[in-house]
Amino acid sequence: MNKIFALAGVVIKELYRRKDFYVLFVLTALLTLAAAAMNFFHDDKIVRYVKDICLLLIWVSALLVAIVTTARQIPAEREARTIFPLLAKPVSRGQVIAGKFLGCWLATGVALFVFYFFFAIITGSREQIWPLMVYLQALWMQWAMLAVVIAMVLLGSIYFAAPSSTITICFIVVAGILGLGTHLHTVALQQPEPMQTVLTLVYYLMPHLEWYDLRDFVVYDMGLVSWPAFVLATLYAAVWTGIFLLLAWFGFRRKNLTT
Amino acid sequence: MSAILQTQKLRVEYRSRELRQPVKVALQGLDLEVRAGEVFGFLGPNGAGKTTTMNVLLGFIPPTSGTASLFGIDVRQPIARQRIGYLPELTYYYKFLTAEELLRFYAKIFGLPRAEADSRIEKLLKLVELEAAAKRPIKSYSKGMQQRIGIAQSLINNPDLLILDEPTSGLDPLGRMKVREIIQRLKNEGKTVFFSSHELGEVETICDRVAIVHQGELKAVGTVAEISTGHENLEKAFLRIVGFQSATTP
Amino acid sequence: MKLSPLLALVALLALAFTLATGLASRADRWSRRDQSGNLFGMLFGDGRKLFANQFFTMADVYFHSGYYPSVFDQKSAAEKEIISASHGKKETEDDEKNEDFLGKPKDWIDAFGRHFRITQHTHLENHTEREILPWLRLAADLDPQKIETFTVGAFFLREHLNRPDQAEAFLREGLRNNPANCEILFELGRIYHESNHDRARARNVWELGVKKFLALTPEQMKDDKLIFEELVVNLAHLEEEAGNYGPAINWLHAAQTVSPNPAGLQTQIDDLQKKLTAQVPVVPAKLY
Repeated sequence: MNKIFALAGVVIKELYRRKDFYVLFVLTALLTLAAAAMNFFHDDKIVRYVKDICLLLIWVSALLVAIVTTARQIPAEREARTIFPLLAKPVSRGQVIAGKFLGCWLATGVALFVFYFFFAIITGSREQIWPLMVYLQALWMQWAMLAVVIAMVLLGSIYFAAPSSTITICFIVVAGILGLGTHLHTVALQQPEPMQTVLTLVYYLMPHLEWYDLRDFVVYDMGLVSWPAFVLATLYAAVWTGIFLLLAWFGFRRKNLTT
Repeated sequence: MSAILQTQKLRVEYRSRELRQPVKVALQGLDLEVRAGEVFGFLGPNGAGKTTTMNVLLGFIPPTSGTASLFGIDVRQPIARQRIGYLPELTYYYKFLTAEELLRFYAKIFGLPRAEADSRIEKLLKLVELEAAAKRPIKSYSKGMQQRIGIAQSLINNPDLLILDEPTSGLDPLGRMKVREIIQRLKNEGKTVFFSSHELGEVETICDRVAIVHQGELKAVGTVAEISTGHENLEKAFLRIVGFQSATTP
Repeated sequence: MKLSPLLALVALLALAFTLATGLASRADRWSRRDQSGNLFGMLFGDGRKLFANQFFTMADVYFHSGYYPSVFDQKSAAEKEIISASHGKKETEDDEKNEDFLGKPKDWIDAFGRHFRITQHTHLENHTEREILPWLRLAADLDPQKIETFTVGAFFLREHLNRPDQAEAFLREGLRNNPANCEILFELGRIYHESNHDRARARNVWELGVKKFLALTPEQMKDDKLIFEELVVNLAHLEEEAGNYGPAINWLHAAQTVSPNPAGLQTQIDDLQKKLTAQVPVVPAKLY
């Protein structure tokens, strides 16, 4: 495990030494503050639109950080040839995959924590209440979803040579699942065969990332998601993460890195 | 003396992704043995299979057939690399890390305790004369400095076997001298050094034994004196063994 | 002779400046966008109406605290509107049924997924209705010709948030962008009548609304029959409150010409007639 944590540490250092996160955070902060500064009918108690905008920006930024950081890991190591001095050490390829995943996930978690902290400050200053458990639940669910996304991107980065391909494809897949995941079965039932069967299969086989979007619960003050559902969703995310990481390991372990 | 590094009938084939392209055989049944405590030179013209052999030994590529082992452990096991140090020909390290951070990272990979890692890092930075630049990111280093940090990282675990891929390539005379001194020092400490090089003059000076490969086959192995028998020097012997025909000599 | 780079740069800048000053007056005629006098109009052009519609829908989503059908739930526009609430009617059981779009879960994934969705049909109340105001404000800025935005916004400001002054200001803004629109005049009259208790102003505004309606073409009148009925019925009630039963009866007669329920109005007319005959007879004035 020490090796995996050591690998993760390098990934985290890379994230906070690159400018991506700071640019996204500043952008999120500026847009949120601009939205909060707007005056609607001289009512300074209006807060939900600020929450909505801020959470949307957090979701977009966190996905950007997660996908872009992860998509670069293995290809950048191969291109920069830093993979060779690393694999010349007593570390297996599985440990490299695990270390990269853990580093990306922890780094994204730190970024999420900063974003949500900012969110809590801004909304709390208006609402004068801090439903911390709701925010923590939303943060955890988003972080769990990002674990699945990071593992998926890691898998993609093994097979697609260019990080840009991995990033584009993964963004489309994630956006598609988040937007259509809930409704895919409804859409499938309206299609003729064989499309109906294909879409139904996709619906049952894909990871349902849309479950982890608790923005509505936060924006509309709907309280907490039930704890059994929360735990099951966490387990579901862990299973899918494991599936993608295993597939990534299968692909990486026999890969010829010298070509 | 026991074999630290051993290959038996090692064969590596590269298959092209394109259809109807012939399989390229990089190594044809290589039998190699490096004993403990010796400095072993691994020679051959470009494309002979030296880098392929090293890639197999380091676990970068799997062999098509045959075996390779380090300290009696199959090279496909990560633990086989616990007691080795590796210096690649082209030194590329994480540019956003400082020299100290890089060495500390590799020390953690080897499982060195913190205190021991601190002590080794200090000594190595002094050895390679990078103490002043230790806290600067590697992206600000010159090529020579990057080569030196490469040497330092290859020694972080106090390896019993050092694998060097053309260690003096691209270095100035001072740098080459420094590398030779390090190899000699390691030999005096009883370590084993396995390195490839095109600098035959250097090989003659420091190696106990050499092996010459050509077109994936082992052509000669022995002491420098044994291989150079009947020739002016190692270079002439090398050229004859690889079948070089001079255009000027009748 | 080699041209100095600096000289070339100065020459190009001079040429660009000359072209700009010469073309400026002509360029105004090429684009309608910068004539819109509105930041959003300039930025988005005609696409702003799409955003306005989306923001109006967002107000509805916010009113229902996120419980809202998506495009895949195939709700028609008429079934998912907040106008019924905006006209002061309580939602009937049919309204409730129509708005329950989720139905039973289609499969176990849908069933489990509902733990993470809003599945309760609620409305904002107790002054939390303020949360829809930003979207109505933005919708109004993006499309000042969308009457619904002003009427709905004014309704919530007046009825739910108890801010008749802001409601009046919002409606007057709508009136500036849509001169003498009957719906806006009707809502304005409601403010004067129900909030300010100013019958005279309410009468003036509603009568203006009636006049504007009668000035419409027959095709335009067909679309606005409902609002005409609202105007004249409310005028009738206003006159009834003031004890002017004659004018009230006249207004109700006018309502009967467009109402889908003339029999119901006839009952009211008969009641008013009884009250009138009990009063000192007054010659009713012809109001239209």
